[in-house]
Amino acid sequence: MAEVKLTELDKSYDNGKSFVLKNINLHINDGEFIAFVGPSGCGKSTLLRMICGLEDITSGLLELDGERSNDMPPNERSVGMVFQSYALYPHMTVRENMEFGLKLAKADKAEINRRVDQAAKMLQLEKLMERKPKALSGGQRQRVAIGRSIVQEPRLFLFDEPLSNLDVALRVQMRQELAFLHTRLKTTAIYVTHDQVEAMTLADRIVVLSPLAEGAQTNLEQVGAPLELYHNPCNLFVASFIGSPKMNFFRATIVASGASETRIKLECGTELTVCNDTRYANPGDKVTLGIRPQDVLPQDSNIGGKNWITGSIETIERLGNESFVYLKHPDSHEAFIARIEDSMRRERGSEFRVGVPAQNCHLFDAHGKAFKRTQSPKFD
Amino acid sequence: MAMVQPRNLQYRVWAARIVMIALLCLIMFPFLMIISVSFRTGNFATGSLIPDNPSLEHWAMVLGIPYETADGNIIQPTFPVLTWLWNSIKVSLTTSALILMLSTTGAYAFARLRFRLKNHLLTSMMILQMFPAVLALVAFHAFFNKLGGVVPWLGLNTHSALVMSYLGGITMHIWLIKGYFESIDVALEESAYIDGATPWQAFRHILLPLSVPILAVVFVLSFIGVIGEYPIASVLLQGVDKLTLAVGVKQFLYAQNYLWGDFAAAAILTGMPITLVFLMAQRYLVNGLTAGGVKG
Repeated sequence: MAEVKLTELDKSYDNGKSFVLKNINLHINDGEFIAFVGPSGCGKSTLLRMICGLEDITSGLLELDGERSNDMPPNERSVGMVFQSYALYPHMTVRENMEFGLKLAKADKAEINRRVDQAAKMLQLEKLMERKPKALSGGQRQRVAIGRSIVQEPRLFLFDEPLSNLDVALRVQMRQELAFLHTRLKTTAIYVTHDQVEAMTLADRIVVLSPLAEGAQTNLEQVGAPLELYHNPCNLFVASFIGSPKMNFFRATIVASGASETRIKLECGTELTVCNDTRYANPGDKVTLGIRPQDVLPQDSNIGGKNWITGSIETIERLGNESFVYLKHPDSHEAFIARIEDSMRRERGSEFRVGVPAQNCHLFDAHGKAFKRTQSPKFD
Repeated sequence: MAMVQPRNLQYRVWAARIVMIALLCLIMFPFLMIISVSFRTGNFATGSLIPDNPSLEHWAMVLGIPYETADGNIIQPTFPVLTWLWNSIKVSLTTSALILMLSTTGAYAFARLRFRLKNHLLTSMMILQMFPAVLALVAFHAFFNKLGGVVPWLGLNTHSALVMSYLGGITMHIWLIKGYFESIDVALEESAYIDGATPWQAFRHILLPLSVPILAVVFVLSFIGVIGEYPIASVLLQGVDKLTLAVGVKQFLYAQNYLWGDFAAAAILTGMPITLVFLMAQRYLVNGLTAGGVKG
């Protein structure tokens, strides 16, 4: 059980010439399940390795349970880690793999057996205890790797993309097992993934990291509960990273700002009303409108009010229960994706009108910072 | 590999077999000749491959057993060949064991640790090793001569001096082991650190057991190299009781009288420990030790 506190943590190579992580401030509470997400190259695995001591910390403060731990070697931190590649000891049986750490710690033989048997039972490994890792399937190996860290009873679990080597069905199953394990053990856990579904479903809070941009103050973009990030992303990066398919963005300018409603105009001339607090912005300011594919309404709906965006159809992905319409729109950087519930065939190149409910809109200023939504949905 | 093969494969297989058998004959012939010489009566290098009247006189001589000739004379063995054999085995085993210790730890440093001038050190070691050790014979002699004045057990005519001089030649082994270490995923040791292992424990319990095949190779290579080594041993060792077999057998070849029969018997004796070591090492030369550890 541990509290982890990161204060102004930096990681740089070549004597400070190239930064990977900059100014990371984070407080992880005891028993919390935290996910680090971000695209590849954002330093999420590096951050995890800094917490367990496999990478050194360039500057800043790492505290485990209130104790400065920057210079503590990994074998003294009493953390457990599950690697992406599993990293099982190939010359040892499953039992020996799980006993290894306890034997090094010269634990009592009876105690070792008790803990190993308990973990084996919890992870359904009892029948595999005498096998070598090469005789196990991917999912079983992953379970052994988890078991190996459980028996140590660490104060902190670290998972480095543990499920990314498994096939889809197994991944879903292991995800549920991990969630169950956490409710049972209640040990603080940090989970690195690039799969936002894993992050959304497992984590109490998500930390979004971005690849460090030139001159940026930090690459920690936002920390918050999964739904908080989904509904109220604080900037363009988080908005585009969380949610699948990705949020659509349009170039626009403010026509009339306001505390509860804002009037904006797309460059193509379409005027829209959105529910965002733009008191501190002025008419004429350049902004970006964001709307999730799931938040739009199809053209024959009557609920759309006065907000409509029209584009021409490029492709349609029909998945049975839903369809994704890819539209071409002059103000959208990429294809404008709309999710609709029918699976009708539609003509390529034909016009398609999409309703954009004002309360579903996100609005970002020229620096990418979000304007507060005034009618975002309720969640707990 | 069950690849589809063209039809004329049969001919090619046979051609390959013939070439291999020819090659084998070429290699085996000198060996059979030596065996033949060692059982031939008298000291003749030439003669039929199967001796006309085989005798055990040379083997008796080499194994230190007094031999009675047909006319009733008893011939006493001239040289302590078995002592030489024991000397050779002793020197080779100690050297190989020490080489293994030094080169694994050295290779670990080069493969896993970060320090300044690492690459320069590796290359300069390689270049230094390119000069044959024979070139330094005079230096070895002078060095151990002086050293013997201070540390008697490391002076000339001691086995420890010989072992010391052999330990210089570990660069090749370091490179070999380093390459093997680098093929083992670092995540295995990292996960040992997380499990609470110190760097030494991770090296001892994870890296070394996984490197057994290459350690066996290095042991055999250095054993073969040392047991057959002549130049340095011939300069450093002088007393008849101290000689290694490789140096000792030369004693059978006087300028006036080449005792080919005794020489051949002793030469075969030299090959025995190598064969034994190789047979013992073979069980460690296995593939796939690291299989299943990490997802590739």
